[in-house]
Amino acid sequence: MQRKIRGRGMAASWYGIARTATIDRAGAWAELDDGGTGKILTGVTEIGEGILTVIAQIAAEELGVRPEDITIGDNDTARSPEAAHAGATRQTYMIGNCVALACRDARLKLDKEIAEYWGVEADTIRAFNGEIWSEGSNLRLSMDEAVGICKKRGVVPVGSGSFTAHGTGLDPVDGSGSPWQAYVFGAQVAEVEVDTLTGEVQVLGIWAAHDVGRAINPRGVEGQIEGGVVQGLGQALMEDYQLENGHTKTHGFAKYILPTSLDIPQINTSIIEDRDPRSPLGAKGIGEPALVPTAPAIMNAIYDAVGVRIRSLPATPEKILAALAERALLREGAVA
Amino acid sequence: MSDLEIHMRVNGRAVKRHTPPHTRLLDFLRDDLDLTGTKEGCGAGECGTCSVFVDGKLVKSCLMPVAKAQGAEIQTIEGLAPKRGELTEVQRAFHKTGASQCGYCIPGMVMAATSALRENPDAGIEEIKERLGGNICRCTGYTKIFEAVEIARDVIAGRLSPTALEPDPAGQSFIGNNVRRLDAPSKVSGRLRYAGDMVIPGMLHMQVLRSPHAHARIKSIDVSEAEALLGVACVVTAADVPGEDGFGVFIHDQPIMARGVVRYVGEAIAAVAAEDVLTAKEALRRIKIEYDELPGVFDPEEAMKTGAPVLHDYAPENVTKHIPIRKGDVEKGFAEADLIVEERYETQQVEHAYLEPEAGLAYVDHDDVVTVISPSQNITHHRHMLAKIIDKPINKVRFIMSPVGGGFGGKEDMIYQGMLALAAMKSGRPVRLVFTREESIISTAKRHPARITYKMGLKSDGRITAVEFKMISDGGAYGMSTEGVMRKAAILSCGPYDIPNVKIDTIGVYTNNTPSGAFRTFGAMQAQFATESHLDICAEKLGLDPFEIRRRNMMRDGAITHTQQTLGSVSIGTVLDVAETASRWEAGAPGRGVTRSDLGGEGTREPCTLGARFAPPVSKDKREVA
Amino acid sequence: MLTCDQYLMPTSLAEALALWAGAPGGSRLVAGATDILPWAREGRAGDVHLPSMVDLSRVQELCGYRIEGGKVRLGANVVYQQFLEDETLRRHLPSMPYCAIWFADDQIRQQATLAGNIVNASPAADGTPPVLTMNGEIEIARLEDARVVTRTMRVSDFVHGPGKTALAPSEIVTAIICESMQGYGGSFQKVGQRRSLVISSVCAAALVKTDAAGEVFEDIRLALGGVSPVPMRLTDIEDMLRGQRITRQLVADAAALPADRVASRTRREYRRGVVRGFIEAAIEDALVACGAPRPVAAQREAAHV
Repeated sequence: MQRKIRGRGMAASWYGIARTATIDRAGAWAELDDGGTGKILTGVTEIGEGILTVIAQIAAEELGVRPEDITIGDNDTARSPEAAHAGATRQTYMIGNCVALACRDARLKLDKEIAEYWGVEADTIRAFNGEIWSEGSNLRLSMDEAVGICKKRGVVPVGSGSFTAHGTGLDPVDGSGSPWQAYVFGAQVAEVEVDTLTGEVQVLGIWAAHDVGRAINPRGVEGQIEGGVVQGLGQALMEDYQLENGHTKTHGFAKYILPTSLDIPQINTSIIEDRDPRSPLGAKGIGEPALVPTAPAIMNAIYDAVGVRIRSLPATPEKILAALAERALLREGAVA
Repeated sequence: MSDLEIHMRVNGRAVKRHTPPHTRLLDFLRDDLDLTGTKEGCGAGECGTCSVFVDGKLVKSCLMPVAKAQGAEIQTIEGLAPKRGELTEVQRAFHKTGASQCGYCIPGMVMAATSALRENPDAGIEEIKERLGGNICRCTGYTKIFEAVEIARDVIAGRLSPTALEPDPAGQSFIGNNVRRLDAPSKVSGRLRYAGDMVIPGMLHMQVLRSPHAHARIKSIDVSEAEALLGVACVVTAADVPGEDGFGVFIHDQPIMARGVVRYVGEAIAAVAAEDVLTAKEALRRIKIEYDELPGVFDPEEAMKTGAPVLHDYAPENVTKHIPIRKGDVEKGFAEADLIVEERYETQQVEHAYLEPEAGLAYVDHDDVVTVISPSQNITHHRHMLAKIIDKPINKVRFIMSPVGGGFGGKEDMIYQGMLALAAMKSGRPVRLVFTREESIISTAKRHPARITYKMGLKSDGRITAVEFKMISDGGAYGMSTEGVMRKAAILSCGPYDIPNVKIDTIGVYTNNTPSGAFRTFGAMQAQFATESHLDICAEKLGLDPFEIRRRNMMRDGAITHTQQTLGSVSIGTVLDVAETASRWEAGAPGRGVTRSDLGGEGTREPCTLGARFAPPVSKDKREVA
Repeated sequence: MLTCDQYLMPTSLAEALALWAGAPGGSRLVAGATDILPWAREGRAGDVHLPSMVDLSRVQELCGYRIEGGKVRLGANVVYQQFLEDETLRRHLPSMPYCAIWFADDQIRQQATLAGNIVNASPAADGTPPVLTMNGEIEIARLEDARVVTRTMRVSDFVHGPGKTALAPSEIVTAIICESMQGYGGSFQKVGQRRSLVISSVCAAALVKTDAAGEVFEDIRLALGGVSPVPMRLTDIEDMLRGQRITRQLVADAAALPADRVASRTRREYRRGVVRGFIEAAIEDALVACGAPRPVAAQREAAHV
């Protein structure tokens, strides 16, 4: 047999956005602040996924300022409204949407004052990138000036938003129910090279296509997909928390093996945007779903390459070699 | 102990300190010099978060006794940029590409990238990867990091304009724009303080006594000697809990410290708050506990058998949660099938391995508000639970979510915040607890392992007529997220396919193993691993291409799911088309690897063969890399 | 967590030997410290308190290397990264760069010493097999009547078993002495659970010298690690190949010999499966390093009928 053999496999997946089989909710407060800046308060913070940047982009867009003008007050049960937990692929969907609603509420107050000041209808007011204007006219102010005018008229432009995702519980007998209002779908293709001498598998390419509803920050979405793929790869090929009578045998990272920079395939991301009709932004999510199809795509690729089906993760070199030996024996048996 | 007098230059400034002889360079930088940009991820040289330059050579400061650096020139992440507030090309490139996510590994990664370019300013991508090989990142999948190092290399070499480091223009909208991460400058510069980097004046240090047994009755706990030790402020156990003790994401079945029984190795039993970590550790050795060992159960199928040891009285069969889903009539579906395939699949327990080990601080403020600062993924729920546990009105409990150095679900459980709160209340002083990597691994939840039996019936054209799916999952000693994981696994188990008849059961089981809990996908990957493997097995038997068998079964707009929910728009068809086209997929049944013509080329990398730096002649001019 | 009463940093060998001889029982010598710190943690030794730690990294006599009389004397403080970066060492020890690139990572290689790797006597020590192939010797010093006395022995006699060596109390390893292998092609094979910062499941080291035409094995050295309590030299296979005309068939036949010597208690079948191919690949890579063309897969296949 050739020592190194390549193959390809694919897998599809689906996922529900936000909390499962329940009503999910989140709240935020917004203020158009002095200097034409924006202030957002919400009760959850970054776990690395990029939510603070997403919030700043959404707030900037809705308030008509720049992302770097946004100050985010987050993470404190005593100082900010409930946003609940950082998980369940709910951050962009739940927090993103409640921030959008809070910003719209604040803008309503500002737009009303500025429209009156200009003597135009409030629905002609537009704002972007630190400027505010009345469409169809040459009336234009910086947001800094607009906030100042609003405040001189006695109004602090503040707003609040609460966003709800309607899920229903499952029937205890037949499991029927509507656990989420938004679903995403994904598919990944893996190309692997199997070393039939050592049993090592190198993943050389992953093509990941994921529906995210709407990519608020495409680079951030790619980052989530790349991270998910590599966690999926780790579970597929090397990671294994081992216990013996309740005692771990994998105390540290010398024994619990994680992917390093040398184990990383080229990851080719395709973002599909099938917007969510039930939310202001149309965005859904990507944090968790990105890793669902990776391990089966890799196992399917290993099978494609060398004809061994690994049904029990992870596909360690030892398991691959044992499966290859077993397959060779079966084949000899078949020939005999 | 005879203290050492250490002299060195750190980031260009001379320092002199007295420190205990065992101090590691890492501790010296963090504790003695308050340079907390250098992080501790594992303490064993396995993750690279603590990398610093010593006399121009990059080392792991957790593996270096500080005495070895006596008289040396040290450069840390804080000293890379020429001025505070500025960033180097490498740091700016990390900012530009979004190479930092949680950020905890990033100071070490920036150091390794800087070292790589100092050693070889012309390093190719394979060499760069090798030179980053001692640094683990759990969030990014490394891809954006590679991109950043290549950009930095080319900007430094003058091959690429420095404008490559500037933000993308705003365009018409900030939505859909690659706005650079707002938090990146604080992460690439090491300025961001995680809970373990935070210091409150007068704070105590906590250490935790953990169970050496998987299942035992605690006959007695004697903390008197520990409490009497000089430097100990207090010892807390379950006896100190004033309210209703119990936490969990779905069922509050876990006391904040073992209450009469230990159910897994590593479960907290008592905690000491003392003036320093060594004193707290010494106090732990003086706590006397008498155990009656109980038989343990370590296999979920064994645990469900009659006569198995029972972990929790409310669950006499050790079943944490069983989720059934039924649609149609599977027997009828199998009877209609031309092909029936049955298989078993298994997935393992997986560690979250966020680079930031658990850490937290607690104090009682001037208004008598019990405050906990920790990288909790759910401060809202933790506040509710802690208020009950310490019997306080909810507005007298405050949770602050510190920057989370990776979570992935693993920081949803309130596994240590209760101990911190109790110790702060009992001692009247701020208390900090920082887990070791080993402590994090033995005591916190893992991804649920799964054993799945799968039976699928199909027509000869590939249409699925019925699926019977059963998953048994080891939830370990406490409920944590098991109920929700079983629910999500069940709902999503059979994939985005229109299947008329399904019978799905997911069962989470108590055992005396390390608990399983929330972990990115919450059961969905285990279940869909089985479905997607199974579909390929069936495709081969039917001579169908893997994309084709999925298309023949996929849900379409308005589909009815396995839980009988009617969907609106369903994008799986588009997603499949895009994946197939992007990968240049050559159609055909599985198992034809060597004969494929779509292997290699665009979208793939070369296989890794170590020694990239041997290949081209290494450039001798070591260009200045800040 | 590792704690100690004293951390000592002698600068001369005589001082180091005196401190070591006088150190209370249970004290430890420290070279790179990359093994001792991870050892003193949960899951391994747990919290450890040592009376004294005697750090050798500033002992002048242990630093640097010398080449004389066809031998390379590597001071005990020579770290792995030097095998990658020092042109002279690369030339004289042609398999060591390949070993070093598989050893841990760039940071750890700046601290970890070859001598320390051998003294730890792990069955999976990456450094031991190549040193065995270079007829490596180990130089050990002790004090006798306040005089520094050294003895030298073969590394193959020095390593007795996992964690067990011929080092006596009060002795300090001062150097590893290898034959200069200038003109040989060197190689190193390794498989673990990933490709960086990982412990060997199996490793193999080879050195090959051919005649000028590249047709005959003038000399060959082979050793295996990770498959037995002590890494092993494969002298019988070397004897079978030495002086023979180089053919794929000969290499394949020779490589088939050592599988039954895999004595590890764990993962034995796996290691047996890997060993044969590793010997073949090690010879092949060493030949390529000598300037031979890399064989295509089909040529190798033809030898395995």
